[in-house]
Amino acid sequence: MSSPDAEIWPLAVFTLMVLVLVITMLLMSWLLGQRRREDATNEPFESGIVSVGNSQIRISVEFYLVAIFFVIFDLETVFIFAWAVAFFELGWHGYIAMLIFIGVLTVALVYEWRNGALDWGSKVRVGLKEAQTLEAQQATHL
Amino acid sequence: MRDFVWFIPLLPLASSVLLMIASSRLTRRSVALLGVGSVGLAAVLTGAVALEFLSDSTPVEVTLWTWMKIDSLAPRISFYIDGLTLVMMCVITGVGFLIHLFSSEFMQDDDSYARYFAYLNMFIAAMLILVLADNLLLLYLGWEGVGVCSYLLVGFWYRDSANGRAARKAFIVTRIGDTAMLIGLLLLLTELGTLNIRTLMQVASEQWSIGDSLPTIACLLLLGGAIGKSAQFPLHTWLPDAMAGPTPVSALIHAATMVTAGVYLIARTHDLFLLSPSAMHTVAFIGIATSLMAAGTALVQSDIKRILAYSTISQIGYMFLALGVGAWTAGVFHLMTHAFFKALLFLGSGAIIHCLHHEHNIFKMGGLRTRMPITFWSFLIGSAALAALPMTAGFFSKDLILLQAYQRPDFGPWLWGAGLLGALITAIYSFRLVFIVFFGDAKTEPDREIGWQMALPLTVLCALSIIGGYFSLPLADVFPLVNAEHPPHWVEIISISVPLLGVFLAYIGFYGQRPRIDSWTKTPLVQRVGQFLRSGWRLDEVFDRIAVKPYYNLANALQNEPIDRFYEAIVRLNQAIHRHLSATQSGRMRWYITSMMVGLIATLGVAMKIAPGAI
Amino acid sequence: MNSDQLLVLSPIISLSLTALILMIQASIKRDHRIAWWISTLGLLTTLLSIYSASNFSQDVGPLLKVDAWGLWFSALLIFCALITLALSRDIFHTQADTKEEYYLLLILSTLGAVVLVQAAHTASLLLGMELMGIALYAMIAFPKSGDLPLEAAVKYLVLSACASAMLLFGFALLYGATGDLSFAGMGAKAASGYLNNPLLVLAGAAIVLAGMGFKLSLVPFHMWTPDVYQGAPTAVTTFLATLSKGAMFVAMVRLILDGQLYRYESLMNALSVVAVASMLVGNWLALRQQQIKRLIAYSSTAHFGYLLVAIIALPHLGDTQQLGRAAISFYLVAYIVTTLAALTVIANVGGEEDSDMQAFDGLFWRHPAQAITLAVAMLSFAGIPLTAGFMGKFYLITLTLNAQLWLLLGTLMIGSAIAIYYYLRVIFTMSAEPHQLNKGSPTVLGWRNPVALLLMLAVLAIGSWPQPLIDLIGRL
Repeated sequence: MSSPDAEIWPLAVFTLMVLVLVITMLLMSWLLGQRRREDATNEPFESGIVSVGNSQIRISVEFYLVAIFFVIFDLETVFIFAWAVAFFELGWHGYIAMLIFIGVLTVALVYEWRNGALDWGSKVRVGLKEAQTLEAQQATHL
Repeated sequence: MRDFVWFIPLLPLASSVLLMIASSRLTRRSVALLGVGSVGLAAVLTGAVALEFLSDSTPVEVTLWTWMKIDSLAPRISFYIDGLTLVMMCVITGVGFLIHLFSSEFMQDDDSYARYFAYLNMFIAAMLILVLADNLLLLYLGWEGVGVCSYLLVGFWYRDSANGRAARKAFIVTRIGDTAMLIGLLLLLTELGTLNIRTLMQVASEQWSIGDSLPTIACLLLLGGAIGKSAQFPLHTWLPDAMAGPTPVSALIHAATMVTAGVYLIARTHDLFLLSPSAMHTVAFIGIATSLMAAGTALVQSDIKRILAYSTISQIGYMFLALGVGAWTAGVFHLMTHAFFKALLFLGSGAIIHCLHHEHNIFKMGGLRTRMPITFWSFLIGSAALAALPMTAGFFSKDLILLQAYQRPDFGPWLWGAGLLGALITAIYSFRLVFIVFFGDAKTEPDREIGWQMALPLTVLCALSIIGGYFSLPLADVFPLVNAEHPPHWVEIISISVPLLGVFLAYIGFYGQRPRIDSWTKTPLVQRVGQFLRSGWRLDEVFDRIAVKPYYNLANALQNEPIDRFYEAIVRLNQAIHRHLSATQSGRMRWYITSMMVGLIATLGVAMKIAPGAI
Repeated sequence: MNSDQLLVLSPIISLSLTALILMIQASIKRDHRIAWWISTLGLLTTLLSIYSASNFSQDVGPLLKVDAWGLWFSALLIFCALITLALSRDIFHTQADTKEEYYLLLILSTLGAVVLVQAAHTASLLLGMELMGIALYAMIAFPKSGDLPLEAAVKYLVLSACASAMLLFGFALLYGATGDLSFAGMGAKAASGYLNNPLLVLAGAAIVLAGMGFKLSLVPFHMWTPDVYQGAPTAVTTFLATLSKGAMFVAMVRLILDGQLYRYESLMNALSVVAVASMLVGNWLALRQQQIKRLIAYSSTAHFGYLLVAIIALPHLGDTQQLGRAAISFYLVAYIVTTLAALTVIANVGGEEDSDMQAFDGLFWRHPAQAITLAVAMLSFAGIPLTAGFMGKFYLITLTLNAQLWLLLGTLMIGSAIAIYYYLRVIFTMSAEPHQLNKGSPTVLGWRNPVALLLMLAVLAIGSWPQPLIDLIGRL
């Protein structure tokens, strides 16, 4: 009965201390800080330079794709490295397992390639009739 | 063969479902073929089972379907066939088939031909389930099933609101008895732990001894159900009103089969009743009292169907008397013969009504002897059987009941005397009917003669009403033996001669131009007694006063008052909660996450706060 | 790895191969029809392999535990996936231009679910859950038209991430207390860990259960459910409601049983609170709901509340533990089959996104077969006799009575009573006069009728002739 209660009170003290600390900090800055309201008060401060433009700009989605590719193939090397270190201990068993792993990754790579994930800009996808007909139409128009 | 016994109730059931679904697409001819044919086939199958049973009379149990088996509960649908079941099945399918055949002509001008046969087939199926059931729960299912079908068929011509009222009355009054029966079933279940009839009887005889109070209570509750369904005093008032239905329906449901379900129930649970002599006495007294009362009422009625209805009540009273004195076989025997001759009488009256422009009043008939010969002969034979004239089926069964009642110690002779009085009145009123309707001057001309679909059932039933008394029922294994000591000769002679005396009295009173009786009935005392009897001993009024009116008043008082408020409050509360909770589904994700976090903290709190201990 | 192990893993291998073949097919020649057939054949092969594996039962490495129970539910999940496939066939025919990926995602999600029901280790549990979940987010957002699917997918993604974080943190705490990550190991060592530091075990377990409660949409982790059910294409809703939730519940039962979490009374108390809240709030929210998919969502909350009662009852049963497992299995099967039936009709009649109740009025006169199926499903949800739902509820009530948990039993009754109102409301709506707008009713494609009828028959068969299923479940 007593042990959980005994273990809860440090937590309670800790929670209390956190609250006290936060309140103290806010209170101190409110008490000690200056209170002025001018044009520049609420502007973001960036090394003294007034910021220009909008932060909401569009970045091409390809950047994300490349980042994801990097993560995937980076992780692949992690696995392969771990296997290479223990190559002889794992023997044929490990070799076959790694072959399967790389095989799956290869299929995925082929899939991505064929779907134009590696193209920058215009995409060419296989078997995409709509896209092809669209291109054909554009060609005739030109 | 017996393994396929489930086909027998299935056939009418399937035909009923088919008729309901496809009613609009079938021609009248195919409706009749389906409706009559399915019951006919069931009758043939029953006959085959019966033939097999004659050579090997061991009871059979057929389990069709175990619904589920969880823990110790295993409700199942299973049938049990012994001599008693078989007799009932033969009556239901045999007489049922004849009545179906009769209906196919009787109802031919009706718009709802298919609906009629759908209900009628469903009734046959429910009734078969009732008698085949090997546990009381399934029996109760059939019991309620026939109640519903009766309701539907009594109110078949629903456009006339009086018919609807009669149907409701039939349903509600029998429900009162059914409720008592359900309580009885639950009592048996809690006390004995099973509803399987045979196990129940066995356990009851082991666990209870004769004269205990529990079996008496259980028996009286079951009896409550039986008197509701079988129209015995004081729950008999629905039956005369139920004559609002088509006449073949009255023949099938309110004469031959459904109303005898109470008799069947008591016969089926006779081991239980044997444990309680006082319950047996109650059965006997209710039976004889109802019998006399109804016979008296039948004497003064003028509606042909109401006469037959009261006579049915009276005859079932005889069956109850038989059960009450322990003459089980005699009771069941009378059940069967009564099914034959009462169905015959009802169908005969149906033929008259059919040919006489739906005329019900016997004083507007007359002289039909020469105009409707087939009907006349069948009515004559039916009335003779009803009056228990010698050599008819009714004679054998009624005589058996009276003689066994006489042998009953203590008050046996009294019961016998009362029964004889009833037999006398029965003979008088049945031949009063014959003399008034078929002799004398013609008052209404029949507009047609009956066709073969009507004539054939009448002929067959005539034959059965005569030879039915010579059947020997395979009931020896079902019921305990009754002492077969022979009563004195003079008892038998009186029993035989009393109905003849009744016929003679009827002849004096009602044959010809009624000169002899008219002057007598003019006296005020007789008038008043007649009035009293005609209203069914004013029981309807009494019930109206003590039950219906106060109930209406109570209902009126409660109409928008406290109890409803309570339920409305529940509804409002739930709706309010729904509204407030719906407001929480704001669609905002941060609110969703907040809710999750609050939930997490609450879960943690409950999991950690209370000092835990491993179980 | 010996050949037996390979055999018991064959369902998982078969699903993975199907996914690979689909990828190859998409990179060689895109064709909607071929992709559909490959997925169907793959799922059927997996069913076969489950059948052949059902004679063996063993642990495969530390991660998976292949037993009859898991295999039975794997088969059920594959069945759900097949029905989803049947419903999906023409949904994306006209909509997306890369519809082949939908089937890939479906197969991957199914793979995740199968791993989840066979998980015996926190790692495989997380792996299966995330594989199932990530594929599902994409499936929800698959239609390119309309904002609702996208909104639903984003909500589900963000909230799921939150729940996964909870789960991980909980496992971390449990690991801290026991030093083991497999369910059985945790269960064995939790007792001593509990003596050292009870709070660590309890807090860890509570957080884990809360995270799982999110996936099962138990109150108060249920908020996402209606939005996602409504926003997702109906086929995906079917998938989410049956396969994802079913798999998660099986995993939860395994964790609680193998991890012996049922031994901690306060933890069970916390679960009781969640169960009571789910049964009441779920039904209350559904009470007057006008969107039928949202209604199903709320009712699923209530149903998983009922199921939770069975878990809570387990430690109280003593020597009738078998009844408890049977009750859980039976109810889950009944619920899944009923949900499949209901959502199939909704997909057939209500169209893809629009599932307003108004689309269903007078359905009895327009599409009798569909309407009867939906009516049977609603009656089964409500627990009316002769339907699967009645048998399930009967089991649960028997169980709760045996365990003598009166509060939970009472709540279960009240919840069921409230529920009848809105289930019957659906049936009344269907029997009403058709609305003016619905006179020109949409046609139901010919082959979809048999699917609905098949499911209706299954619901009725389980309810009226349950003995084979009871026997089957008893043997697991």
